[in-house]
Amino acid sequence: MENTEAAPAAQPPPPAQADEADSLTVEGSDVSSLEECDPHVVTRLIQCKNCSRPLHTPVRLPCGNTVCRSCLPPARPRMGITYPAAEGRAEEFTCYWKGTIQCAGEHCVDDCGIDVVLCNMTDVFQEELGFPDSDTEAVEPRQSGQGRTVRWKVGRKDTKKPEAHVAEVGNHGWLRGLYLLAWEGRFPYDAFEITYEAPDEPSQGTEDHYKLQNISLFKKVRNRLRSELDCQVCYTLILDPLTTPCGHTFCRKCIARALNHTDLCPVCRRKVGMPSAMESEPLNRTLANLIELFFHDQLADRREVDAQDELWTDHEKNLPLFVCTLSFPTMPNFLHIFEPRYRLMIRRVVDNGDGKFGMVMYNRRGQSQGEGLGSVPFMQYGTLLVIERYELLPDGRSLVIATGMSRFKVLEASELDGYHVACTERVNDINLAEEERLEATETAAAAIPDPSLGPNAEPPLDSMSTQELFTFLREYVRKQHYAGAPWLHPRVMLAYGPVPRDAARFPWWFASIIPISEEEKYPILSARSVRERLKISARWARELKARDWYFQIEHTYYIAIL
Amino acid sequence: MALPKRIIKETERLMAEPVPGINAVPHEDNLRYFDVSIHGPAQSPYEGGIFRLELFLPDDYPMTPPKIRFLTKIYHPNIDRLGRICLDVLKSTDGPRKDNWSPALQIRTILLSIQALLGAPNPDDPLANDVAQRWKDDEPAAIQTAKEWTRTHAMA
Repeated sequence: MENTEAAPAAQPPPPAQADEADSLTVEGSDVSSLEECDPHVVTRLIQCKNCSRPLHTPVRLPCGNTVCRSCLPPARPRMGITYPAAEGRAEEFTCYWKGTIQCAGEHCVDDCGIDVVLCNMTDVFQEELGFPDSDTEAVEPRQSGQGRTVRWKVGRKDTKKPEAHVAEVGNHGWLRGLYLLAWEGRFPYDAFEITYEAPDEPSQGTEDHYKLQNISLFKKVRNRLRSELDCQVCYTLILDPLTTPCGHTFCRKCIARALNHTDLCPVCRRKVGMPSAMESEPLNRTLANLIELFFHDQLADRREVDAQDELWTDHEKNLPLFVCTLSFPTMPNFLHIFEPRYRLMIRRVVDNGDGKFGMVMYNRRGQSQGEGLGSVPFMQYGTLLVIERYELLPDGRSLVIATGMSRFKVLEASELDGYHVACTERVNDINLAEEERLEATETAAAAIPDPSLGPNAEPPLDSMSTQELFTFLREYVRKQHYAGAPWLHPRVMLAYGPVPRDAARFPWWFASIIPISEEEKYPILSARSVRERLKISARWARELKARDWYFQIEHTYYIAIL
Repeated sequence: MALPKRIIKETERLMAEPVPGINAVPHEDNLRYFDVSIHGPAQSPYEGGIFRLELFLPDDYPMTPPKIRFLTKIYHPNIDRLGRICLDVLKSTDGPRKDNWSPALQIRTILLSIQALLGAPNPDDPLANDVAQRWKDDEPAAIQTAKEWTRTHAMA
């Protein structure tokens, strides 16, 4: 059935062709006029880049692309990565998309969960398109040589020259015909210049029949797909689909919000690595394209509603600032509000807000805080706090316990009734893959020991694995605790909790209690990776170790005067 | 603040496809507040009783669990005198103890869990200590009391 013809033109294909095929998007395609919907666009969205067949048990790759589970490249052990220390993170593979802007190259096997939503969707495609239509078979028995054909070109592997192919689709119609060709493995993923050819003398009735068949098929698939595409958190069409490593998909905003409260996947309760980095994870590209193609109109409505909701809950635009001390995500703050302007601010936050405000530290030295801010009385990076407990005292003062949620950077600030109000931008961690790459790069670069340091010198922090940094810090805390360091008094532990086992949380805990000045602590607030924060913490620990000598003298002195 | 789409959808579905033995109706003036009634499951000490509860969806629902409380008096080791319920899925994951609420759960699943709790009391994770102790020491007597309470308080 399939003929291979020599490429008619000798000229080399434009180099952009492959890229063009890769960046195939469906934006701007008018789905409301279903006749316009190109069967190739639909087919290609659910084709696997590796095997060219419709995706079978698709897995989500961390770069946002998708392949069949059976098409995952062979895995190999990973080197130079110790954080996060989870089982199953020991193997990696090289992504098919390596070298494109979409992907940095290597993925951890453990991050490639089966994409549950897409799995259900490909089942729908298979059920609707994977079998010949019995109605049509009855109306028009298949005749060989009827002449309904699809032509396409594909770059040859060796010469890269375009090669023309042709295949008959019988009486399946273009959509089902093309899907079946892909299913049989005859229609390649990177095909281009697709043309559809009807027989020379088609009867008008037959053509209309095929057109209608295509439309009704498309509609049928669309109706069935819709029920798979509700976000489990907001119950509406998934907007900006983000898929967790365990394979569950939510709107980006929904999962980010959920992970402010927990670090578990809402559906399967598996631990989602590094919640704070969720917003910098790439979207699920395959799902995003499918939703855009099939539910273009609904998506536009959804976006509009979302933008309106934003107005209600946008602290970022209008965040009241409490200029006081440093505070850190996940950590409690015990505040005594006595200044009249802050009494007013906190009362407003409690009464008509959602209990959220920003905490920023004094700019004691009057340093410039970047463009647009200049020398404001507070530092540029701060923490979003949410009030957990609020006790109003009879004289108008109040006691507040507030917990750190996330970090922000102040972009602009103005004053309102004596206190500052800021337009802020959330500060997110880099994503997990970048975090792991950072560790591998730094430890590899620092692997060669510096001979000038001597054999007994402490290893440079860059050369220590993330896990080693964490172990060093926990060990330091343990020793200090054993030695009765006052900053690890049981009362402190009661307020800030025991030593966190989570390396992502540890530096915030450590920064909250370690006895050094706020100016020294400030840089940790803008650090965007767990490794960076552990390194900063380790630097403090080393400095404190050096200062300990003085502390001991002081301690002896206290005992002497007692 | 506008009522989130999710709450509207959940309410619609609860009305359109009610759970057998469970009835949940929102207040007209506060759509986040529901009057709930649960039928005591068959073969349980609560069989034949209709238990009234109140359910409230807090502002940050579904990020935090619904607040729910029995209004009808009930003799059960996991429900205290004030009607508060000890159920892992009703606790927020924010706390130091990792509990089991998840935003993928919903009013329907929570009410089903409560119905199941009536069918399977768990004296090892008690809220009402005296009831739980009695349940452990003398189960037949405890069940008898539960039946009596059901007759007195849950059968109008």
